[in-house]
Amino acid sequence: MSFTRRTAQLLHEDHQQTIIVIEALDQLIARARKKAPDTNDPIVRKTLENASGAIEEEISQHFAFEENQLFTRLEEMGDVSIGEHLRGEHRALLPLGQAVGTMARTALANGFTDESWATFLNTSGELIERMFAHIQKEEMALLPALEDLLDAETDIELSTAYADSH
Amino acid sequence: MSMAGRFLGGAQDRLLPAAIPFRFFVTAAVFHLLAWMVLLLAADEVAGFRGGTGPVLAAIHLLTLGTLAMTAIGASLQLFPVVTRRALTRNWPGHFSYALMLPGVALLSWGMALHQTTAMQLGAGLTCCGLLVFVALTANNLRRASSIPVVAAHGWLALATLFVAALLGVLMIWGIELNILSNRSGLAITHLTLASYGFMGSLILGLSLVLIPMFVLSRSLPPNPGWAQLGLTALALLVFSISFVSEFPGLIWLALIAGFGGTGFYLWQMAKILRSSMRKRLGLPFVLMRASWGFLILTLLLVTAYLAGLAIPNAVSLIGFVLLAGWLLTFLCGVLQRIMPFLASMHAAGKSGLPPLLSDLTAEGPLMLHAVCHFSAVTLCGIGIVADQSLLIRIGSALGVVGAAGFATFAIIVALKVRQGPRTS
Repeated sequence: MSFTRRTAQLLHEDHQQTIIVIEALDQLIARARKKAPDTNDPIVRKTLENASGAIEEEISQHFAFEENQLFTRLEEMGDVSIGEHLRGEHRALLPLGQAVGTMARTALANGFTDESWATFLNTSGELIERMFAHIQKEEMALLPALEDLLDAETDIELSTAYADSH
Repeated sequence: MSMAGRFLGGAQDRLLPAAIPFRFFVTAAVFHLLAWMVLLLAADEVAGFRGGTGPVLAAIHLLTLGTLAMTAIGASLQLFPVVTRRALTRNWPGHFSYALMLPGVALLSWGMALHQTTAMQLGAGLTCCGLLVFVALTANNLRRASSIPVVAAHGWLALATLFVAALLGVLMIWGIELNILSNRSGLAITHLTLASYGFMGSLILGLSLVLIPMFVLSRSLPPNPGWAQLGLTALALLVFSISFVSEFPGLIWLALIAGFGGTGFYLWQMAKILRSSMRKRLGLPFVLMRASWGFLILTLLLVTAYLAGLAIPNAVSLIGFVLLAGWLLTFLCGVLQRIMPFLASMHAAGKSGLPPLLSDLTAEGPLMLHAVCHFSAVTLCGIGIVADQSLLIRIGSALGVVGAAGFATFAIIVALKVRQGPRTS
């Protein structure tokens, strides 16, 4: 998708960055399956480093911006439910992202045990599934809605503030 | 409707009440099962089928109207408001269209199977009224479209071809004797072509431009190839219809070239979307969708070979079978596997008040069973038609029944999970 509003385009680019990290995590899980991967492997380390930083940071900033700046504007326009639904998904995603980040950092320092890998596998699996569906919903519904919601002036104001916060 | 259930629009209600799309989808799954059952019973007549009433014609209409059109209507009513960013003005016409289509298709198919003219006429009348309600509702939405004009234009082509195809179907059933209708076989082929390549094909070509990139999370496409695909498809359908109705066969080669062109642009775009996909593991739905694209190419090659005079045994039956069961049915089963759980997640309640996981809203076992049986069924029936072997067609149809039962199980499981969620209006 491409968008005429800069705010929508920035959120779309965020989604693409998140997908890269999540997809790498998905590939790691698919390759390793039930056997804990070697955390000295450069590809595994890179994936865990991205997961430990990017997911947590990206989603917390991204979610906060959407909730404070966009959903509120949609609600003022009488469009309450889109924000309610996506807030519900954020509530599910944020603790998952934080948990995966913490587990990734621990694994980078100490490696995986069979037990910690099993926990990481389950938590990451749920994060991956929820995140892909969430991004698909935002790409299909939220970002196109911004095209109608934001006028040019508000778009510049919001997108500049968001870009500066990154 | 619940708060979560109004996702995609809230005040604008771009998400329909779950009851509308899901009743079309579940009914499509049931008619899918019935279509294979009737084909199993009529296995001896399939290879040599050249038209006329009977169980084979009934099976065809259980598939085309009962399965393909029901799926297309349910999906269009939900997807066009999202694509056009304009909510449907009212929900009741969706329910009304269904209430007309369900008995209409059942009666029409029953009449065709048993050569009952009155049942066919009544069934065709009800079905056409249901389709007209759908056409009016969708046309009103497309008229107000504010985004993605190329997809909306595909929608217009689909509606126009559906209108003409339905009209031709009614004319054939009523047996109106007009000079232009003297060529009945040409009329039947035009009816089939407009309904399949025209209505279903235009919807698939258009909605693929937004659905496939969303499914695979790919980069955006420039609009021009989409317009080229639309123009060539429209040209192919127009020229094909003129050549058959007017009995001027020379034009058909022009139609075929345009058809290959439109298909080429479509498949090129699909390949480009898949190449730029950010999702690597696309799963079973994309096995079906990719295979359906192969069947689409195969139908065009078979038509070309047939027109060029190559001796393909039972070519007409084979082309019809590959077109309907190979391309259209395979594609729609793939799409339904993706959109039914996705839509259900917006209506169903999850544990602890959190939205449910998509994997909790699907049924992988029945879908795998369907995929294995479906591909086996299409292959065996196709070989059976060419070899004129009823036994192969019978075995293939039996596998089709098993696969369709698997798919219906999936559809019913998803629908039940939606019902367990917050009630929708």
